[in-house]
Amino acid sequence: MKKFILYIIIGAATFIMGYTINNMYSPDLSPVQPIPFSHKIHAGTNKIPCMYCHIYAENSRHAGVPNVKRCMGCHSIIRTDSPLIQTLTSYWEKKEPIPWVKVYNLPDHVYFPHKRHVKAGVPCQRCHGDVANMDRITRQAVSFGIPYARVSPLKMGWCLECHKNEAQKYIGTPVKNGTDCWTCHN
Amino acid sequence: MKRRDFLKILGVGGVGTGLGYFFGKASKPPAAELIPYLNPPVDVIPGVANWYPSLCTQCSAGCGIHVRVMEGRAKKIEGNPLHPINKGKLCARGQASLQALYNPDRIKKPLKRRGNRGKGDFEEITWEEGISILSKNLISLSEKGEADQLYLLTSQIRGSLNNLLNSFMVSYGSPNYLQYELFQNKNLLHASQVTMGVNAIPHYDIANTKYLLSFGADFSSTWVSPVSYSYAYGQMRQGEDGIRGKLVQIEPRLSLTGANADEWVPAKPGTEGVLALAIAYAIVEDGYYKGPDAASWKALLSGYSPKDAAVVTEVAEGRIREIAKEFGQTRPSLAIGGENLARYENGMSGLVAVNILNHLAGNIGVRGGVIPNSNGSRTIDFKNNIAALAEAASASKVKTLLVYDTNPVFTTPKAMKTEESLRNIPFIASFSSFMDETTAMADLILPAHTSLEDWGDDFADPSVGYPVATLMQPAVSPFFNTMGIGDIILSLAKGVGGKVKDKMQWNGFSDYLKDAWKENYSKDKDMLASALTFDEFWNQLLTRGGWWPDEKAKVKAVSVSPKGIEAHISKVSSRFEGDEKGFPLYLTTYAHSSHLDGRGANLPWLQEMPDPMTSVVWGNWIEVNPTTASSLGIKEGETVTVESPFGKINAHVYLYPGIRPDTVSMPIGQGHRAYGRYAKDTGSNPIEILPFKEDPETREIALNSTRVRISRTTASEKMVKIEGSTKELGRNIVQTISPEEFKRMNKEVS
Repeated sequence: MKKFILYIIIGAATFIMGYTINNMYSPDLSPVQPIPFSHKIHAGTNKIPCMYCHIYAENSRHAGVPNVKRCMGCHSIIRTDSPLIQTLTSYWEKKEPIPWVKVYNLPDHVYFPHKRHVKAGVPCQRCHGDVANMDRITRQAVSFGIPYARVSPLKMGWCLECHKNEAQKYIGTPVKNGTDCWTCHN
Repeated sequence: MKRRDFLKILGVGGVGTGLGYFFGKASKPPAAELIPYLNPPVDVIPGVANWYPSLCTQCSAGCGIHVRVMEGRAKKIEGNPLHPINKGKLCARGQASLQALYNPDRIKKPLKRRGNRGKGDFEEITWEEGISILSKNLISLSEKGEADQLYLLTSQIRGSLNNLLNSFMVSYGSPNYLQYELFQNKNLLHASQVTMGVNAIPHYDIANTKYLLSFGADFSSTWVSPVSYSYAYGQMRQGEDGIRGKLVQIEPRLSLTGANADEWVPAKPGTEGVLALAIAYAIVEDGYYKGPDAASWKALLSGYSPKDAAVVTEVAEGRIREIAKEFGQTRPSLAIGGENLARYENGMSGLVAVNILNHLAGNIGVRGGVIPNSNGSRTIDFKNNIAALAEAASASKVKTLLVYDTNPVFTTPKAMKTEESLRNIPFIASFSSFMDETTAMADLILPAHTSLEDWGDDFADPSVGYPVATLMQPAVSPFFNTMGIGDIILSLAKGVGGKVKDKMQWNGFSDYLKDAWKENYSKDKDMLASALTFDEFWNQLLTRGGWWPDEKAKVKAVSVSPKGIEAHISKVSSRFEGDEKGFPLYLTTYAHSSHLDGRGANLPWLQEMPDPMTSVVWGNWIEVNPTTASSLGIKEGETVTVESPFGKINAHVYLYPGIRPDTVSMPIGQGHRAYGRYAKDTGSNPIEILPFKEDPETREIALNSTRVRISRTTASEKMVKIEGSTKELGRNIVQTISPEEFKRMNKEVS
């Protein structure tokens, strides 16, 4: 009996441990979206430029998700018979925004402006991966046939590596003050 | 432990961790959501701030502000760098006005009184109901032929809203539109009128003066236009010509400005006016005044010889003459008379004396002196003031009272019986956004927007030598179900109908404002020259934040003659109520640097901001000189009863060496009984124990007019303040040396 209680206690403690580990260190790399929107169809097959929908990327630190009106701009005519498009239309008719789930979630203590990177000529794919071939946006990259790597690790070393070396490819020099703390943590 | 047990524990642990991990995975909510706009506004880019120029309404200085708005939310307020009054700077009160917008205690909907008056029992109604209740009341009033028994009481509103309210009252048929604020500078305005003949508070050019003689003007925290003066003060001290201006502060209680001064002259309370006249006498007598009418000035000032004045003011004769010499000889010098001087029973007299000083030293109309502003539209209504309203109300001659943006129940002495007289009024409607003491007595509350949500404009008074107009535009959409005050009045006019409706055909206050500016534009040749069309001019107004000429206007000279001035000066020092034996201490009051007349007390940022002199937060105090305190056996933090002949309050003692031993001082602004969760029940309100005394000329309420006695209670509390000890405790932080020792050391070195 005593042992049984011990096992329960150990089991509960480790359960909490596992739960916490998952919550803290294992983000959902390819979350399910409210509408199974396919980048493969839009950016891949139809070759719509990124900035057609992510309109703020050039002007703001946020790239912005397309407003519902922008979706409806095309989909009031295109594929209106599809049930998924009808879901979209129902959001528009209810005057409700679509609650998209964030995939790339940077911590609060880092300041990342899309504007500067886009203006410097860094292609969107450099950090977001080959979006044109993704049905659902994912941060999971496949390496040697095993899905364990990340499309981009979003770790500080990874940022700095580009600020120091790869930046030369885009702007000719390393980023000015690119390794300064205050450049990103302000 | 047995091997079997170890393996079992390991197994249970492994399974537990795994289950936990997978359960966590399954039950995890999405990390964050990205909510797009349904239909994006054209001028909003998420992540990029829009800055809207507007007007600060936290005091009546009229500073221009920039409001930082992101995605439709106001985030920060800064000064408008183009604005000639505050030049891009802003005080704590202006910064905190953001919290007026987001205040949880705002009145969110129109309210109607349900229970007894003053009990705070209200029910929510719609705007249509609210407007119709009030317009029905007004219609029935005018049908009974009692239209003149409608009173409208507001703060010191200037500009188009003032015109709108005025034309509403005039077309309705009531002459009783009055303005009241505790710190309304009425004495200052009137002193300028009687001495210089200019109906506007002049511009004090502190920036360019070399000797500033301040009679209790706390211009770095609250006096008239603190941001403008503080900026100018910085320039005076470290101006481009490299000469550091000198500041002499005359006041019984050392204010923040006094603490910055080179010399502090703690004259006896109530005698500063006499001191000013004695200085004037010394200037004339010692020959610093070169004007042709020196003889008549001397005749006028006879009886204020420094020798006699030294006895009254407790300032040595030599010092008076020294000040006179420095003030008369330094070019340019400037004398200013502040709230401490203005709020004695004969405050006008003191301010007139200050103007005389400026004239004798030749400071009027010169750079670095007093620069008269062009005549303002503001006229002092000596008859129609808050006291007259209280009188009329207690005689049941007020049928309906409309109140906006002012709180007379809090800011008038209990002895004036404002609250009792308001109870006599059958119907009170308030347009306040907050449940302050006066609004709590209302029968109907139609909450107006805060300044960040509304349209408006302002013509600064005092201006800076040339007219400055500031435009107020909505930086954010209304947060709650409130309405702009102008719009309320316009829809009220529609509801009342008849002549009022015919006079006021505008659809909204923004139209009214635009029309008013169209008229300004068509009349003013500078405005006409600045833009081709009115629309262009209007856009310019909205982007710059207002209108002011680019180049500075010429300073015009104004003369002051001794003729007729005698009527405005009094030879006696100001009287204090209460006999010396029973009430041994003078009580002076001053505006709290962050709450002003109490209006800032509902903003938590201001509550938690330490007072610059005492560093006390959240609450107020009574300043007592340590010698006085020790003779009474009082320690810091002790609660004492402050008793005047007119009432008593409790306050915590703060030991303050910067105050005369015969004087105690309290800041005004705390001690609200209503006004939201942050303001309520913090400290006590010294206005409550003041007598109802007015300046005989302007009927401005005297704040420094009573003596008090303080007595110990059993209670005591640790002062909430951020300063540590005022003692060095042998740590040798401030190292000192006596003059003799310094001389000796100098000799040894050389």
